[in-house]
Amino acid sequence: MIRPDMLVDAVIFSNLLALMSIGLALTYMTLKVPNFAHGDFVALGAYASYSLFALAGLNAYLGLPLAFLVSGGVALLLYVAVFKPLNKRGASIVAMMIASIALEVILRSAMHIYADIMTTATPPDIFFRGFIVPEPFALQLGSIRLSGLLIGSSLLVAGLVLGLHFALSKTRFGVAMRAAIENPSLASTLGVNVSLVYAVSWFLAGGLAGIAGALLPIKLPCSPETGWDFLLRIFAASILGGFESIYGAVLGGYIIGFAEVLGAYLLAQPPLCLSTAYRPAIPFIILIATLLIAPRGLTSVNWREVAQRLGIRSSLRVRRESL
Amino acid sequence: MIPGIADPIRFILDFAVLFAVYSILSISLNLEYGYTGIPNFGKVLFFAGGAFVVGSLTARLAMPLAGISFNPEKFCTENVKLTYMVSQFFAANPHIAIALFLLLILLAVGVSALLGYLASYPAIRLREDYLGITLLAAGELVRIIARNYEPIVCGTLGISVPNPFAWLSGRTQDLMYIAVMFTAAIGIWIYTERLSRSPYGRMLRALRDNELAAEALGKCGVSIRMQTLVLGSAMAGLAGALYAYYTGAVYADDYVPIRTFLVWVMVIIGGAGNNSGAALGALIYVFMDRMIGQYKYYVPVPFDINYLSYIILGVVLIVMLMYRPGGILPEKPSKTIDFEKIAARFRKNLSARKA
Repeated sequence: MIRPDMLVDAVIFSNLLALMSIGLALTYMTLKVPNFAHGDFVALGAYASYSLFALAGLNAYLGLPLAFLVSGGVALLLYVAVFKPLNKRGASIVAMMIASIALEVILRSAMHIYADIMTTATPPDIFFRGFIVPEPFALQLGSIRLSGLLIGSSLLVAGLVLGLHFALSKTRFGVAMRAAIENPSLASTLGVNVSLVYAVSWFLAGGLAGIAGALLPIKLPCSPETGWDFLLRIFAASILGGFESIYGAVLGGYIIGFAEVLGAYLLAQPPLCLSTAYRPAIPFIILIATLLIAPRGLTSVNWREVAQRLGIRSSLRVRRESL
Repeated sequence: MIPGIADPIRFILDFAVLFAVYSILSISLNLEYGYTGIPNFGKVLFFAGGAFVVGSLTARLAMPLAGISFNPEKFCTENVKLTYMVSQFFAANPHIAIALFLLLILLAVGVSALLGYLASYPAIRLREDYLGITLLAAGELVRIIARNYEPIVCGTLGISVPNPFAWLSGRTQDLMYIAVMFTAAIGIWIYTERLSRSPYGRMLRALRDNELAAEALGKCGVSIRMQTLVLGSAMAGLAGALYAYYTGAVYADDYVPIRTFLVWVMVIIGGAGNNSGAALGALIYVFMDRMIGQYKYYVPVPFDINYLSYIILGVVLIVMLMYRPGGILPEKPSKTIDFEKIAARFRKNLSARKA
């Protein structure tokens, strides 16, 4: 049976995935290139906040701003030093994807080196591979113990979606951002600083991934490979959501998160009794199904037309007439 | 001699075999990316496909022929011993060994080609980024399945591969390996070179440079890309099968996505769209890899030096993409008939008509 603590796990996992996918959508919108190094921003955030926790003994939540700055800064650096010049030189999509894979390998190897050095430099009871962080606080409501991460991450995702919605539709900068994403050359003739807008997008994207990464070790053991392990899930969530939509990214993150946590449990039960090691297959299957059925994601599907084809049209019309 | 090498012949042998395997891989990727523009980020999947076929089937097929009885339940824990017995059977029966070797190579090529079709099917009609992501994910998934599902290559335990040339002794055997590997690599090189100069090769380049124009002339982009991917995957399968035979063991965790990255590094550094460039890239990488393998214990650093080499390769790749996107040996214009020859033929026709 599905227990409430599994639902809590699923919500937390989905929140973190949503944070990562929003970031990927923000970078995909700018150059229309999937960034394969996005997962490493997550791992970087995890390492930044964990280092603060392990070396200075600070509360795990105090590492969040540092994780945001480190991952955001690295993302910004990658945009300014690699993607912007490549884009200027008219590199193809494939060339930029290769560059992002190279950056992925560079970041992952750098984290491996950091982990190796720190493991030898610190006392043996401090781990730099497969580390976890204790839950900093929890709410006690009578007999029910509510995880602080559940509340924190949910508030974070909700606040972020509202904030981004407000920023993109109500502020001058947000409107300029949408214009620069929609049509960069037209926006720049109208005085929008396109490269500044893109740089902000990349910084935000990296920062959000960094926050997700800083929260991750509370739930899962992290290592330099964490970013790579999450990359496939982030892509699956983003493609399911439609790749270019922030709301789609949240939706995709939630569907993948729930499908993975609950699916891994259900597959481990009779009659299938599969090992949980097959868990990465779940986002992959969803990815393949999305590409076969609705390659541009859920947010691009014309639901009214789907309803018509399925024959739900008549009932809708009846309802409208009765109104 | 190079200092610090205990067995120079072994070193050269390793070097030559790895070079042959990696140049098959880089030439196949060159066919896919260099000529056709397909972002195959799942190269390791097709390499692994070939290796897994050889690893899982060689001993299992040979044991009934050799009359070795075994308990299927305990196959994995006893596979090293059983494989040794099969190798001894091969030593006594060269014709069976060769027949099985050829059969499994063919099977490996076929399975990899099929994997190429299946892995690209969901995304071949979409933009390049979707195809790249799907292939990458498929490669990772197959490794996860192979690692956890014991009947393929015995999961994390790994599986041994019987020696198909056990009937040769000592150095003759090594020479045989080199001969087989280089025959395969040179064959692939000649085939790809001829293909790229044929009308089909020009069509691939036309599709890469301007898909819309190629389609307006009646070429179907989707099916051509699919054919190229299947062909490239079959070549990678051949490389995987040969690699499995040479190393004598198949471990699922040996087929990690970093291998795909390395093959990309070879193609981009050597020169995309030029087979000599792809082979040169393989040579540069294998040289670097062997040197690191040889000397890494002499360099006192508190971390694994392989990570440093990955960082350097990544930086070199990005610098190449920015400042020399053509690679060391850039693509040459496609070979056509000499202009003088065309002019001479034209003149001859003209004079014949006058007379």
